[in-house]
Amino acid sequence: MIWLFPLWVLGLAVGLSVPVGLYLARVMDDRQCVPRWLSKLEKPLDTGPQTWKQYAVSLLLFNTAMFVLSYLVLALQPRLPLDPDKKGMLAPSTIFHTVISFVANNSQQHYSGEVHLSYFSQLTVIVGNMFLGGGVSLCALAAVIRGLRGDEHLGNFYVDLWRAVAYVLVPASFVAGLLFLAAGVPMTFEGSAPVAGGGPIARGPVAALVPVKNLASVGGGFFAANSSHPFENPSPAANLLSCVCILLFPASVIVMFGKMLRQMRHAVVLYCVMVALLAGLTAWAVYFNDQTANPALIHSARPALPVDQGGLGNLEGAEVRFAHGPTATFVAATTAVACGSVNCMHDSLNPLALLSPLAGMWVNCVFGGKGVGLLNLLFVLIVTVFLTGLMVGRTPEYLGKKVEAREMKLAMIGFLVHPLLILGPTALFLGLSWGGASASNPGAHGFTQVLYEFSSASAGNGSGMEGLGDTWGFNDPKLNPTPPAPYSVHWDVAAGLVMLLSRFLPILCALALAGSLATKPAVPPTVGTLRTDTATFGVVLLVMVLLLGGLVFLPAGVLGPCAEHFGPIPFGR
Amino acid sequence: MFAHLRASVWLLGLTFLLCCGLYPLVLWLVGQGLFPSHANGSLIEEAGKVRGSRLLAQPFSEPRYFRPRPSAVGYNAAASGGSNLAASNPKLRGRVAQQLGLIARYRDDGPRQGAPVGPDIEKWFARQTKEKKRNLTAEWAASNPTLASEWVNGSDLLKAYVTDWAKGHEDVRAAWKKDNADKSDPSPADLGPYFFASFARVNPGAFPGEVEETKDGKKVKVIRPVREGDEIRQVFFDTWLTENPEKIDPLTDLEQVPADLVTTSGSGLDPHITLRGARYQLGAVAEARAREMKLPVKDVRELIEKLLEKHRFRPLGFLGEPLVNVLELNRSMDAELKPAK
Repeated sequence: MIWLFPLWVLGLAVGLSVPVGLYLARVMDDRQCVPRWLSKLEKPLDTGPQTWKQYAVSLLLFNTAMFVLSYLVLALQPRLPLDPDKKGMLAPSTIFHTVISFVANNSQQHYSGEVHLSYFSQLTVIVGNMFLGGGVSLCALAAVIRGLRGDEHLGNFYVDLWRAVAYVLVPASFVAGLLFLAAGVPMTFEGSAPVAGGGPIARGPVAALVPVKNLASVGGGFFAANSSHPFENPSPAANLLSCVCILLFPASVIVMFGKMLRQMRHAVVLYCVMVALLAGLTAWAVYFNDQTANPALIHSARPALPVDQGGLGNLEGAEVRFAHGPTATFVAATTAVACGSVNCMHDSLNPLALLSPLAGMWVNCVFGGKGVGLLNLLFVLIVTVFLTGLMVGRTPEYLGKKVEAREMKLAMIGFLVHPLLILGPTALFLGLSWGGASASNPGAHGFTQVLYEFSSASAGNGSGMEGLGDTWGFNDPKLNPTPPAPYSVHWDVAAGLVMLLSRFLPILCALALAGSLATKPAVPPTVGTLRTDTATFGVVLLVMVLLLGGLVFLPAGVLGPCAEHFGPIPFGR
Repeated sequence: MFAHLRASVWLLGLTFLLCCGLYPLVLWLVGQGLFPSHANGSLIEEAGKVRGSRLLAQPFSEPRYFRPRPSAVGYNAAASGGSNLAASNPKLRGRVAQQLGLIARYRDDGPRQGAPVGPDIEKWFARQTKEKKRNLTAEWAASNPTLASEWVNGSDLLKAYVTDWAKGHEDVRAAWKKDNADKSDPSPADLGPYFFASFARVNPGAFPGEVEETKDGKKVKVIRPVREGDEIRQVFFDTWLTENPEKIDPLTDLEQVPADLVTTSGSGLDPHITLRGARYQLGAVAEARAREMKLPVKDVRELIEKLLEKHRFRPLGFLGEPLVNVLELNRSMDAELKPAK
């Protein structure tokens, strides 16, 4: 029974990804017919075909504009409309962190939505950037594909982004939004509801945010508790819908990749590798969290507590309405594809189960959030064809183009940015007292909290172990219900910079790589060519993904979740 | 460059209108038109006043009601969140043990017929103090400093009491300073373990508990040394279980509490409990209702069983196990099980 839900989710996502992926390819290749008045809107956007450099400059320019506008909106929050509950201004470092987080399609949150943001900020900075950030990821991928298939130009960024947002993300979010409304998600502009004899109930235009946060692989919640909050995820059916939404576009972009490249067999190989990885991560999480009791209540020098966890699994930080199975499926899906919404508190996951979300973020290419994950996979692909090429003693080729020194350099930079940005800051924060003083749990789990924060920042994920003290809140400390965490500014700045670099460096590397491959003459395949569309290549790729991810992050995984699992529980007094 | 700027601004404007204007507006219209109750937060109204939301848990503390799952945020529907306690954090086992002290009971089909363990804990506590001359409060604070701090943190009344106590008893602050030479300005929670040591020296065999007193004709809650009551049951459940004076096996001699009743949810607002969790509470609720309805407990129990059957549902029809919505269940009990006049 417990495995039925993950199978449903996977089946629905895979089934839907084929038509959606073909539609994506039609839109990005300009083969989708649209009404005349709509195509007229594109005219002022079209600055003409762009080389990889022009495309990259446009992308950076537009993201800068998004950053400036979003920063202004948050800084002026108390003076802007749609603020029935009269929110104050956030601390500047928190604004910096929040804006980068949403511009970079990451959505790490050092604030609590219902406490700190007005409806205007939620709809513009959060929802607006969710659409645009998701769109930018998709554009970057489309441009890279055009380079890989040898187009003279990579397309036009502004037109691409408009099409990705207007023809893909908004319609999809609207349809999902209707379903979420039917499931019980609120959609109102009235302030929090006063309750007779109790505290007020925070609400708002939640149904506008929930679909896009899941579909665009962003994941930032309207409420602090994200998708575990009954208003964001009211029922088991809404939970199923959320899971499918999370996986839908990441899976579809691989179909789009195959269709646009006209190399469907190659895409099928990639797709199978992704499904294998996702299935592995999901099975791991479901088994070790939802099938296994929380060790706190049974593993210790003291007698077991009289608590029946059978058939419920670890319920600390989890909601009963999702039942056991769906909780962990969500955990694995949201971290594997760089979404980052959560339907349970990851801090309270069973120690070994924690390896699933961490590994998903470390590997960072399981389907991958809306396009960018596929770019990460591209780096691993290039490394793989290079290594296998060396093994059989031939010049490595990918898609009929020779992979040479320049491509290898770009691929290695793109690949190494991720572990450097996770392990470097983690070491820094733990070496200084910042990390230890911010961790809310003792021992190995405290280490995992710091590691998780940077993993999530670098993987474009945005989920967090929320016990970590990283929230300042309103600029005026007196307005905050809880006092600001001592190192919150450090966290804001460090995580903000990590998100910035980990978002744009790989995109630039991938664009450069595509630009460089596009100019090379295609070599016709011979009997000696290493084919990339066979099962053998799929297995080699799978091993490479695990090997590269494993070698880099294995020590951290052992120091964190493994040490917690094998160490004394409870740890300390 | 100018062309790029113009395109950027145009694109920003267009997407802003579409994503932040048109899209939420249409959803809002559809929501308010087709699903007005959902769109406003599934509120439950009574005589023009909002009583709560069908989707959000509310605290129920009276014995005549079923209780929802514990909440790490005090059921605050304006600041959701979980406990974020790791399995390896001693606070997690500590918190669960404290909850169990209030609700654990002997097996319903065993020789003690579902009697609560609380009175046995209190008896054991008194005996240890009197016969063995043990100071259990001091022992507990010394071996569980984290829990002692956490216990102080849980009550504003106790925090104020600790601050007052530390003013009158220099030894508390001095002992803290000895262990934390590099720090200054301790919070009441920091002083927790040292406070309990000092308190136990002055009041051997007692624990600082909340009691209600009449002051100037008004009832107020104050902290007094107590020797029995909820605090003793909560704090010393784990010690009692470990020392095990009754020679019981916690897994076979005690009724097993369904895990949802002692774990906090991710949102702190989980409105459901398992049907098993409701059945675990059924005896106590039926007893309280039977008293006020002046009916035999057995009959009331049957009436509530019927309500449970009416409210039970299974996630998606096939997942997990049957659940009930606590707020809806309690409301239908209020509607159908009226107290006798």
